[in-house]
Amino acid sequence: MLQNLETVLSGGWLVKESAVTVTISVKWRKEVFKSVKIDTSQPPYVFKCQLYDLTGVPPERQKIMVKGGLLKDDADWSTVGVKQGLKLMMMGTADEVVKAPEKGPVFMEDLPEEEQALSLGLSAELFNLGNTCYMNSTIQCLHSVPELKSALLKFNIYCLSCDQVLRKKYPQFSQLHNGVFMQQDAEECWTQLLYTLSQSLQSPGSSASVANVKSHVAVYARNTDKILSNLCLTARIHCQDSGEESSETESTYFTGGEPFARWYLTIHFVRFFWKRESNQKAKILRKVDYPLELDVYDLCSDELRKRLEGPRRILRDEEGKKLGLKANEKSSSSKDGDVKMTDAGGSSNASGKSSAIASQEGAPSDKETCLTGIYDLVSVLTHKGKWIEFDDDNPIPQREEDIVKLSGGVLGDWHMAYISMYKSRTVSM
Amino acid sequence: MSDPKNDAGTSQPKAPANDPKKKEEEDLSEEDLALKQQLELYVERVQDSDPGLQKVALESMRHEIRTSTSSMTSVPKPLKFLRPHYGTLKSFYVTMPDSNLKNYLADILSVLALTMSAEGERESLKYRLLGSEGDIGSWGHEYVRNLAGEISQEYIKRQSEEAPIEDLMELVQQIVSFHMKHNAEPEAVDLLMEVEDLDLLVEHVDKANFKRTCLYLTSAARYLPGPDDMLVLDIAYTIYLKFEEFASALQIALSLDNMQHVRQVFTSCDNQLKKMQFCYILARHGITFELDDEMVADDEDREALQDIINNTKLSESYLTLARDIEVMESKSPEDIYKAHLLDGRASTGASVDSARQNLAATFVNAFVNAGFGQDKLMTAPADSSIGGSTGNWLFKNKEHGKTSAAASLGMILLWDVDSGLAQIDKYFHSNDNHVIAGALLGVGIVNCGVKNDCDPALALLSEYISKEDSSVRIGAIMGLGIAYAGAQNEQIRSSLTPILNDAKAPLDVIAFTAISLGLIYVGSCNEEVAQAIIFALMDRSESELGEPLTRLLPLALGLLYLGKQESVEATAEVSKTFNEKIRKYCDMTLLSCAYAGTGNVLKVQNLLGHCAQHLEKGETHQGPAVLGIAMVAMAEELGLDMSIRSLEHLLQYGEQNIRRAVPLALGLLCISNPKVNVMDTLSRLSHDSDSEVAMAAIISLGLIGAGTNNARIASMLRNLSSYYYKDASLLFCVRIAQGLVHLGKGLLTLNPYHSDRFLLSPTALAGLVTMLHACLDMKAMVLGKYHYILYLIVLAMQPRMLMTVDENLKPLSVSVRVGQAVDVVGQAGRPKTITGFQTHSTPVLLAACDRAELATEKYIPLSPILEGHVILKENPEYREDS
Repeated sequence: MLQNLETVLSGGWLVKESAVTVTISVKWRKEVFKSVKIDTSQPPYVFKCQLYDLTGVPPERQKIMVKGGLLKDDADWSTVGVKQGLKLMMMGTADEVVKAPEKGPVFMEDLPEEEQALSLGLSAELFNLGNTCYMNSTIQCLHSVPELKSALLKFNIYCLSCDQVLRKKYPQFSQLHNGVFMQQDAEECWTQLLYTLSQSLQSPGSSASVANVKSHVAVYARNTDKILSNLCLTARIHCQDSGEESSETESTYFTGGEPFARWYLTIHFVRFFWKRESNQKAKILRKVDYPLELDVYDLCSDELRKRLEGPRRILRDEEGKKLGLKANEKSSSSKDGDVKMTDAGGSSNASGKSSAIASQEGAPSDKETCLTGIYDLVSVLTHKGKWIEFDDDNPIPQREEDIVKLSGGVLGDWHMAYISMYKSRTVSM
Repeated sequence: MSDPKNDAGTSQPKAPANDPKKKEEEDLSEEDLALKQQLELYVERVQDSDPGLQKVALESMRHEIRTSTSSMTSVPKPLKFLRPHYGTLKSFYVTMPDSNLKNYLADILSVLALTMSAEGERESLKYRLLGSEGDIGSWGHEYVRNLAGEISQEYIKRQSEEAPIEDLMELVQQIVSFHMKHNAEPEAVDLLMEVEDLDLLVEHVDKANFKRTCLYLTSAARYLPGPDDMLVLDIAYTIYLKFEEFASALQIALSLDNMQHVRQVFTSCDNQLKKMQFCYILARHGITFELDDEMVADDEDREALQDIINNTKLSESYLTLARDIEVMESKSPEDIYKAHLLDGRASTGASVDSARQNLAATFVNAFVNAGFGQDKLMTAPADSSIGGSTGNWLFKNKEHGKTSAAASLGMILLWDVDSGLAQIDKYFHSNDNHVIAGALLGVGIVNCGVKNDCDPALALLSEYISKEDSSVRIGAIMGLGIAYAGAQNEQIRSSLTPILNDAKAPLDVIAFTAISLGLIYVGSCNEEVAQAIIFALMDRSESELGEPLTRLLPLALGLLYLGKQESVEATAEVSKTFNEKIRKYCDMTLLSCAYAGTGNVLKVQNLLGHCAQHLEKGETHQGPAVLGIAMVAMAEELGLDMSIRSLEHLLQYGEQNIRRAVPLALGLLCISNPKVNVMDTLSRLSHDSDSEVAMAAIISLGLIGAGTNNARIASMLRNLSSYYYKDASLLFCVRIAQGLVHLGKGLLTLNPYHSDRFLLSPTALAGLVTMLHACLDMKAMVLGKYHYILYLIVLAMQPRMLMTVDENLKPLSVSVRVGQAVDVVGQAGRPKTITGFQTHSTPVLLAACDRAELATEKYIPLSPILEGHVILKENPEYREDS
């Protein structure tokens, strides 16, 4: 390398032997060019051109340091005081000069006050407008359905004041109590919203997705200890999809043929109950367990079970593999707003957001996807709570317990789940 | 002969009534009774007229006493039995004619006085001086010790009477020589200090005891007032030099800040390897020192040595350490914040970039990756996409934030001048003045503590100091201050001082110029610089004097006298003529700087006194007074603990401006040394209702944990980050503190004390103090547009490592024991110096109170203190165990 350079030196630049030459060494970055010859009769610019050959740094970008000063292009070598064996240091790069991006970033500090608050708000920009938590939480919950979100985006709906629109469309939500809007049931809101969505989003694909979300199971909390406590399900489950109503049975709620709850299954805990004797709504605090992973296999008809068997096996295999391989299943997080129960007469707020648990299973559209009858919990709509996150890569049992804790029970004032939404696990065949 | 009446008058021991005595006699065993009778016989015989008989009696008595005084757990029997006769003998002594016998008796009386002389009479000494000058040690240790005590009392008395002291000194000689031979070096040193003649010590030390003697001297020096401490250290220096313990001598020379002594060490040693070790010590101390041909004759050798002093290889060995510990991988600010460990709200980033938070990330990134030469924000890999992330991150900062961002590149490439300058170069061609300013500051940071023959920092920066734009000027000026701290460079002074007295220069330029000059001339007492700063202060208008920036001027003045004690007095006198707005502030700053690191208790009291006043006119001088307490008291462990307690009181009773400074003072006292009690106090204060107190406490949490990766502080700060997530200013402080805790991924320390807490690096302290003074007014400085003042802590950044190198200065891995340091001052024998140790192989990290020792006999370290770079020499006597 060095030899090469020296050839360049002697070949490329004809240093006249007759002239007064001084051999010096130049340090550039970590390299040292030994025995660089300076012709002191020429101005330093010539020397810089010499260095240009060596380093590729154009002369105007070079900064050559001589004992506490920079070497000027027109300086006199004699004043610089070069002597044999002097060490010079050169700074400079041929790199591109840093340019500011044409459009600088917008900083929060530059924004007007209101927007600052908005960008600080970490709850997907929803604020409690006074007992609107039922709405917020519902929207948050729906927010966690990517298909719905994308469908909505296609329609480019821009909702300025969601609450007003809602109240206009469904006057029952504008019920007033002591001059403020009353607390409403999130479930009603949920149903109405979904209805509206399915009505208005009439493009292929989107309606399907809405319909998916619609598949809805209501669990009457009054009589239930545990949803799907395998065989002894003593609940009256009202399956809206099929319009059936039945009791004390674990038989065929999910009959074949119908694309039942393809993607999402929402379970509604009917916790409000009209007390006839006191003429008021009462809340049922009974504990209703729900699992993080819901398997409806046992509730399926035989025909459907047969169809499910194949995909389930594949899923099992895959999971077994994953456990071994520590697959990089993405984390999923479910979070709830931080609205205090005490503020403005109680509020419920919940949201679910999942970065697709079933990212692998959430099959690409060109492949046939099969249902497995297994659903993962993606979001829980509840009263008040903290953001809860659980990471599948690094499961922290306590977190999961936290979620299960929302199942209600003896602790009356603990917030509890109203609606839990499950996302279906599918396998591609 | 004496008559009994006289006896009764002079002797007290006879005073007690006879009854108890009789009882005692009954209790005595036969043996004791015999001894008692024997001694009584001797006493009687001494008073005999026959000199022969007298002599025999005296000698027997002497024999009895000598054989019994070897142990002093209880009063020896002969002394006890002779007690009643002390008076008799004394009065007999007066009547004796001068003779050998009289001297003999004086000796015995001297010993008897040990237990019998009345308090303050100093009879033991009196009779000793009257008696024969026999071997002093023959009477036992206790006698000598008692005598030494009496000598010091007598000395004080004679000093006041201006009486001659020759006879005393002769005795002192004997005693010192006795003590030194019998492992009682502390006693000997104490006696000599009492009689103010430490020079005597030099002739009495020998190879066996000089180390213990010097250890005692150096640790005693910390508690001595005024010039005495210098004297003591001087003696220690002489002793070390006498026994060719050059490395220790050098350390003392450095603590005396005596360059003459440093030279002498170099000229008296002729071992190149040892000289290399000296150079490492000098380099760690961070002073500029030029070797000349008198110190090292050979040119090539000298160059090699000068390279070490210039820290040219510091970056290399730091990276070796990092690779060995396997922390080379860059960390991003998010890795430090660890937001995923918090449940809740802080988890998702805000949708819009916050300039404040990006700036915090810039600092965190710079602190965490300091010196590693790579990071995830500023140094993108060369082949990355167009523009590189470098440009992107830089421009994610706003205005003056870009200055800090560009300068952070200097921090990341710290000490690596060659590649540092190459990477910073691109910013020089920017058309944004803030970026250029940052590049200039970055050049200064890269060169911090590293000197180079070509003086690249000076060459690059000097042309920018007179530019139009004041941010560019400040960048260049601060860069010079950081790169040449302690260098006392004339060229820089001549170009910077005119700025101070330039009427057109903006206040911030003047303030930073003063600080830079203060750093460059730290502890130099340079008259001209002091003058320039004083004039600059006097030129300030009334309104300017109220500005927080103006307060940097008195600080700059103080830095000139850092640790120089009395030398400050002339300037302090001048400061009395200042405008009253700044006068007290200046007073406090000067006082605290001048006595920084001295442990002077009187000054601490003085400063405490200022803090006790209740101010009504909104004066600001109590802040520096509180910081001053920490600066003065940080010198030694005991004073440090006391001042931590005093600061607690200030917190309780002090007013708001004092409470704001207390956390910072605590931060300085325990810098890079997370003591649990201080941590708790700061954690409590970090939730204080006064946000300035909280900010100071948060920054201080960072300071006490600086470079330790302390998990407890880290989690405290994490919780604070969610607690203060809405308050941008407090969150900024939390981020900075988080960056500090993980400083250099835990490989760096900010402690200005090194070499077993013996030496104080002046530049390091200067950097810290300036940064803390800036934090006294957080809103105006750090949270305003002068946040880059935080980079001044680079002056205190040093790897907290033990790196052992072989004779060719190549890293050499040996096993060492690292444990808690134990104070072995004044202990006899060879006490263990560390406790609870673990064995590691070098390079190894050392925590604040750790000490290391070699676990192998195969090598001999050339430095007595295993810290920083230590050269190992093969032990010629080592035999491999087979």
